[in-house]
Amino acid sequence: MKFGFVRVLLLIAALFVAIPVHAEQRNFYKIGVITELSGDLVTGGNITKRGYDLWAQEVNAKGGIEVQGKKYQVKLVYADAQSNPAAGAAAAERLITQEKVDFILGPYSSGVTLAVAPVVDKYKVPMITGSAESPLIWKNKFKYTFGTIPPINFTGATSIKTLTELKPAPKTIAIIGSNDAFSKATAEAYKTAAEKAKLKIVKFSIVPSGQDMTPLLSAVRSMKPDVIAFGGHDEEHVKFVKALKQIGYTPKALLMHCGITDKAFTDAVGKDGEQIFGTTCWTGTAKTKSKVLWPTASAYAAASQKAFKNPGDYTQGGCSAAGIAFQTALQKVGAKPGMDEAMRAKLVQALEQIDVQTFYGRVKFATSGEFYHANVGLDPLTIQIQNGQIKTVGPKASVEAAAQYPMKEWKSR
Amino acid sequence: MKTSRGAAILAIITAALLILPLVVHDTFVLRVLTEGIMWIGLAIAFDVIAGYTGYLNFGHGAFFGIGAYTIGILMMQAHLPFWVALPLGGVAAALTALIAGIPTLRLKGAYFAIATWALSRAIQQLALNVEFTGGPDGMRLEAFLNPLFFYYLMLITVGAIFLVLWYLLERAPFGLKLKAIREDEEGAKALGLNPTMLKMQSFILSAIPTGILGGIYAYWITFIDPSSTLGDLVSDQAVVMVVFGGMGTLFGPALGAILIFAFKTIFWAYLSDFQLLYLIILGALIAISVIFIPNGLWGTLVKRKAVARPQEKPEPASEPAALSAVAVPEEGN
Amino acid sequence: MMELLPQALTDGILLGGIYITIAIAFSLTYGVMHVIDFAVGEWIMFGAFTGYYLNKWTGLDPFIFLPVIFVIYFGVGYLVQPVIHRVLSGTKGNPFLMGLVFTFGLAIMFRGLALTAFGFYSNSIPSAFSEGSFNLDSIGLTVTIPTVRLMGLAYAVAITLILHYLLKKTNFGLGVRALAQHKDAAGLMGVNAKRTGSYVYGIYVGISAMTGVLLGCILSIGAQMGNEYTIFAFFVVVLAGMGYLAGVPWAALLLGLVQSIFMIYFNPSHTLLAVFVILYIILLISPRGLFGKGV
Repeated sequence: MKFGFVRVLLLIAALFVAIPVHAEQRNFYKIGVITELSGDLVTGGNITKRGYDLWAQEVNAKGGIEVQGKKYQVKLVYADAQSNPAAGAAAAERLITQEKVDFILGPYSSGVTLAVAPVVDKYKVPMITGSAESPLIWKNKFKYTFGTIPPINFTGATSIKTLTELKPAPKTIAIIGSNDAFSKATAEAYKTAAEKAKLKIVKFSIVPSGQDMTPLLSAVRSMKPDVIAFGGHDEEHVKFVKALKQIGYTPKALLMHCGITDKAFTDAVGKDGEQIFGTTCWTGTAKTKSKVLWPTASAYAAASQKAFKNPGDYTQGGCSAAGIAFQTALQKVGAKPGMDEAMRAKLVQALEQIDVQTFYGRVKFATSGEFYHANVGLDPLTIQIQNGQIKTVGPKASVEAAAQYPMKEWKSR
Repeated sequence: MKTSRGAAILAIITAALLILPLVVHDTFVLRVLTEGIMWIGLAIAFDVIAGYTGYLNFGHGAFFGIGAYTIGILMMQAHLPFWVALPLGGVAAALTALIAGIPTLRLKGAYFAIATWALSRAIQQLALNVEFTGGPDGMRLEAFLNPLFFYYLMLITVGAIFLVLWYLLERAPFGLKLKAIREDEEGAKALGLNPTMLKMQSFILSAIPTGILGGIYAYWITFIDPSSTLGDLVSDQAVVMVVFGGMGTLFGPALGAILIFAFKTIFWAYLSDFQLLYLIILGALIAISVIFIPNGLWGTLVKRKAVARPQEKPEPASEPAALSAVAVPEEGN
Repeated sequence: MMELLPQALTDGILLGGIYITIAIAFSLTYGVMHVIDFAVGEWIMFGAFTGYYLNKWTGLDPFIFLPVIFVIYFGVGYLVQPVIHRVLSGTKGNPFLMGLVFTFGLAIMFRGLALTAFGFYSNSIPSAFSEGSFNLDSIGLTVTIPTVRLMGLAYAVAITLILHYLLKKTNFGLGVRALAQHKDAAGLMGVNAKRTGSYVYGIYVGISAMTGVLLGCILSIGAQMGNEYTIFAFFVVVLAGMGYLAGVPWAALLLGLVQSIFMIYFNPSHTLLAVFVILYIILLISPRGLFGKGV
């Protein structure tokens, strides 16, 4: 049986070695996509996939990316990061060395991004993530990693500010965050902003992910905060709203984060989602104007609705915008498919310089400081769910509808 | 004669693996092989306590995570060089095994399995809640992305683990003593063995390599967080690999690790459009293998061979012969 | 803070009710078949989605469908059990471990199937009962009781009583108890181990599926929800003493109360840490559960 063992080994070795190496010459852009298509973060991973897919579809429908008078189609090659940093790093290595991709569209989560970033730095292949937004990524100053979504500590202050400008102004706030990297950072950003806005923080709690929060909310209820702010993921948002409703406490304002801008949230909680506030950088009705691909945010939302029966949320939009950022930089340096290292270095320089208006808003990457290579061109928005629609209620320049405040009692809905 | 042939084959495999990077320059293939070798190490280390001793440790992943975090913290916060930190990862895992083992090893069967699982979960929660681990944000190590370095480091480490375990478990009386405990703990006691001490040695012997592999993993992947290193991933995979390959042997878990990891990787790399199908197939594969090859692949292969050639003496690894040496009841009672 | 205590206790008890529903049938199965079913969370998830779609198609309250769901999943469990029986009755290997790994495989497969069939979004099952809550101000307590959670507790009590009746007062129950105590002797006395096992497993899967609907009304549903509930099922069953049915309600209530008290009076972030440390310590002190009556 030891020969059996050897045979199996050889067979496996052969499988890996026998994979043909693709030729460098091609007339389309080969783009690697690393994201979480299985594991705990499968929801977020699939939303990023939609964003990247929609961008590729639209580009190809228009004949491709035009560089120096010739149009090149794009082709996406996916690699599942399995919600696991090690798989993400392996995915990067495979896409770069075997698939020889021109550049990479990055993961949903910050954890996977942090494991992928050193690998793309090593091979000098640029990557833009349309989702990961942990402040840690940018603090590490990876030369080849960019992000289209501004970090949460950049956006969090806006919605707190919007809330404090409402009449009668809220005075107290309870802040709760789930104990994962993103949600905790969200809660901390809200805390910093609330302190600055002189709101009295009656409770600040981090809870283990996925728990029933009813007892905690009972405690919060006894403190009667005007505002309750929560940082969490999709499933936790649903649980949170239901728990608040079940214990029968309606704060004057309930603030969550971007997750609620996905149509799935309003589908899940129905009328209980009404009047919930959120922080985001983009909505399907944002007043953006662009010359690249979709002319406006609503055009994008319509295209997404057609493709996925879902108008798309800001993560999905951020992913499509990541594609546009690459597209713009490619045209700028005239990089054709099958780029060499020098060309990719030029591409990174171009990415650092671009300042482009997209359906998603302005894309401009910071080149120094704590937000290094994160998109700082966007204006954070405060949104509220009104009649099942996402409406921008702050800051003043972007307002679509007046904020509904205080929140309607759960019972009288 | 049999052993020398086996040794020769192992030598050939080792030599092939040693010179492989001279032939294969694809860094992705090297990365995959590095990880595959790591899983072999994790599976055989798990099998020391689970297969040989009969104590199913569902918190095996905790040793891995503790090793990873020890290296991470020592390198990034105490600024120790990797070579100093790495053995300390094994020491940390051994200490954990010692402290946790004293009370936990008194439990048996399902109770031991669930107690170790609860403990590993508690450790994960602890890592999420203290400052020096970075909490849910995890921890980044300095990137030293040299594929050859990690390939050889992993190969040599796992090779050494394999040799040490092979000597202790298949050649020295230690392995037989452990099996005696697995088959009949009271009987082993009656024979003058000290099960408490032996179980503890086995637990620590299982922990040290796991902690060291965790440390290499941390330096290699450059990023660790509680869900990827302290979660159920390592324990779950180790259980599946060992059961699929065959418990209570060294070759079984190694074979299980290779096949399961190869299946996962090939599916992942070249059939990524069918990612969900992969979950379905993997699940079905595990379930079906339990039904049809309850002894694991290796156990089944060995048995078939033994039936086909009855005149030949059974493998040293196969139970009855081994056990008769210490005169305890045969397997299956 | 003391004025919160009545609410803390209420929340804990209601949460405990949820845990009873998750764990009680799981414990019964362990007692009879000696299998730790890793797929318990996935049965819950399938039940939840069945309830979700039935509600969506008919517009009727999901509580009405509970019996239907029970019947469907009783059938599923009845059909699956012989396979598990085969795994467990093997003479080679370690049957306990085999059962565990087999159901672990099932759980992975079910999760893949669910992601394929139901997608990756989280959802919620609407019910008339999720709308309201009532408070006990009238008797001088600042306590709010959500109707839907009270329904959950009522369901838990009902299931517990029915199982109790079934086990203690019927011939079927006699057979089940005999099997749990001594498999071979029960066989000699004319208990058909295979068929009884199938019924028990069917009942367990049916109850778990109904529980899923309830959880969908109280909390949320999603293709990956199972894992979380598997953890709590383990917890309660071990605390109660594995296979000791009468211990389950108390263990479940204890878990609910620990979580609720911890969230309110201590650092909520340490809730799960406390839960696992308590489980570990109790296992060390009394491996057969709180009452020392586990198998």
